[in-house]
Amino acid sequence: MDALAPHHDPTVPVQLGTTIMAVSYAGGVVMAADSRTSTGVYVANRVSNKITRVAPHIYCCRSGSAADTQAISDYVRRYVHELSLELNREVNVSVAASLFRELCYRNKDRLTAGIICAGWDAQHGGQVYTITLGGSKLQQPFSIGGSGSAYIYGFCDAAYRPDMTRAECIDFCVKAVSLAMSRDGSSGGVIRLVCVDRDGVERQLVAGDAVPRAWQG
Amino acid sequence: MAGVGSGYDLSTTTFSPEGRVFQLEYANKAVELSGTVVGVVCRDAVVLAVENVLPHRFVVSGTLRRVHTVDRHVAIAVGGMGPDGRHLVARARSEAENYRAVYGEAIPARVLADRVAGYAHLYSLYWHVRPFGCTAVIGAWDAVVGAVLYAVEPDGSVYKYRAYAHGKGRTAVRTELDKVRWAERERAEAMREVAGVVERSRDVVKDKPYELEMVVVGERGVERIDRFTAAESGGERSGGGDD
Amino acid sequence: MHTTEPIVTGASVLGIQCVDGVVLGCDTLASYGSLARFQRVRRIVQPGADWVLGGGGEYSDLQEVARLLETMVTREYCQEDGVVRAPRAVHRYLARVMYQRRSRLDPLFNSLVLAGRGRFLGVVDMYGTAFESHVVATGFGSLLALPLLRKAWRPDMRMEEGAACVEHCLRVLFYRDCRALSSVQLARVPAEGAIEVSEPYELGELQWHVAQTVA
Repeated sequence: MDALAPHHDPTVPVQLGTTIMAVSYAGGVVMAADSRTSTGVYVANRVSNKITRVAPHIYCCRSGSAADTQAISDYVRRYVHELSLELNREVNVSVAASLFRELCYRNKDRLTAGIICAGWDAQHGGQVYTITLGGSKLQQPFSIGGSGSAYIYGFCDAAYRPDMTRAECIDFCVKAVSLAMSRDGSSGGVIRLVCVDRDGVERQLVAGDAVPRAWQG
Repeated sequence: MAGVGSGYDLSTTTFSPEGRVFQLEYANKAVELSGTVVGVVCRDAVVLAVENVLPHRFVVSGTLRRVHTVDRHVAIAVGGMGPDGRHLVARARSEAENYRAVYGEAIPARVLADRVAGYAHLYSLYWHVRPFGCTAVIGAWDAVVGAVLYAVEPDGSVYKYRAYAHGKGRTAVRTELDKVRWAERERAEAMREVAGVVERSRDVVKDKPYELEMVVVGERGVERIDRFTAAESGGERSGGGDD
Repeated sequence: MHTTEPIVTGASVLGIQCVDGVVLGCDTLASYGSLARFQRVRRIVQPGADWVLGGGGEYSDLQEVARLLETMVTREYCQEDGVVRAPRAVHRYLARVMYQRRSRLDPLFNSLVLAGRGRFLGVVDMYGTAFESHVVATGFGSLLALPLLRKAWRPDMRMEEGAACVEHCLRVLFYRDCRALSSVQLARVPAEGAIEVSEPYELGELQWHVAQTVA
């Protein structure tokens, strides 16, 4: 009964026990995420979408509380849209990341949100920003996050190259996320990918039965 | 009430039957009567200059400023009433600081110009306030578009300019500005020419002594040019102490 | 209330006063618990021309402090009167900020070291405790590095020696502090002249031959 309790208990938040990542390359970014959303040990949604649009060329990968990160990205989407109207052009990726930072930092005691904000802009090309739990904003060439990321730091550090092409980045993401999904009980389902570059956005999906499988044992 | 505005000039809240708001025209008059203010966009910078007329010969030069730094990449030259300009500049500074705090990057010049204009416009709407008796000439270095120049008028209108002049010498200065392709000029050239244009617009016999205040805004930020003292550019007075 | 426990954290910051200036040093790690999460992070910032700030503790709070100081410096820039706050004034300002925040039960979780022109070296902690000293170390460094710095310090020490001494301490911290890294950053703040903040670089001269003596 105890194992089922969280499912019935409204005080247990819906968590994105998650694997998310974003990789920048010359000309754009690739983002990837698993699709499992859980309450306790129950899979509340096995095909959820953790990569959320903030602007036409800016996306964020969400981890932590589903409610918190949805609310935050809704706010940022609105602020970014308002600013783009005022500027009469698309806003820079770092501006969206700063808004995430502002919200996460000012409300750090009330939020559980780990966000990777990534995208492409004409001024600085493909960029990846990590917004940590405490509300710091850090730019990185690539970033991994969520509970599953703990299992793939070694793989990512070894496999990452700064000179990858878009196709290589996609391959890198699929490998990394699939490895995390195979070891992290809170990650699973399908792999969703979002690629952003000068020409726009492309979404891809790796179905659950097409996710690459490594050594198991 | 048989004056210029026939009773329609006491407040900004009432139009005249011809559709004019006299208080705004009087505010503009304050700008027309004061020292000339000039701005030009050259290739690598914006040059702002003000003919800063000294109110009295006892005044120590360099004490009253008409060109103010607003942020690392923005300066505002004030034509008209200096104190009114100072208030507008204070507003511009807080807009710039606020933008940086929220968005983590420098405020784009057009956004700043629009916000300053919006603020100035508020003072043309209510009976209990008086419009600004000044124009704010905004020179900025924009990360995307480079050197840009905007001017906000007392009525709250704002335009982007290649070159701008207002104040006492505006007619002569505008004629001279029209002869030069400023976008092709380097900053050093532009600075010299602007100084000359302002000096030539003056009536050597009638006009009071002045000092030329000049600020250049480029990629490196805001730079104040101290080289052109009134004496150098042909005025009657030389620069005094700076205390 | 704000930070009740630090999440992403930086470790020690070291500083030493020399006859010709001050040297500041720290590693470039921001840890997430025991995970070495961000390994090329700048913990030394230079908002003004006359001083640098090195910080440990919660990284988001350090970014907040840096923003605060940048705003302060931008205001000075706009004033255009050539008056800027001296390092000692900035140090005191930081102490007031930190003390006010702790009094609101909303502290900034940082240990800060300020080094400035005119051989200034001072610390401020998360409670607003502030003092100046000729050698300074925060975090684990106050246990491991401070005795070493005190022993090495001489009144006629020059900045090259000071830098070598700080590097030595960072090496010791790398050996003995689980939250330290071998990638470091050094700031040289001469009494006169331009401040130099290095890019992150790897510590050299690491000694592991001692391992061979163990059976």
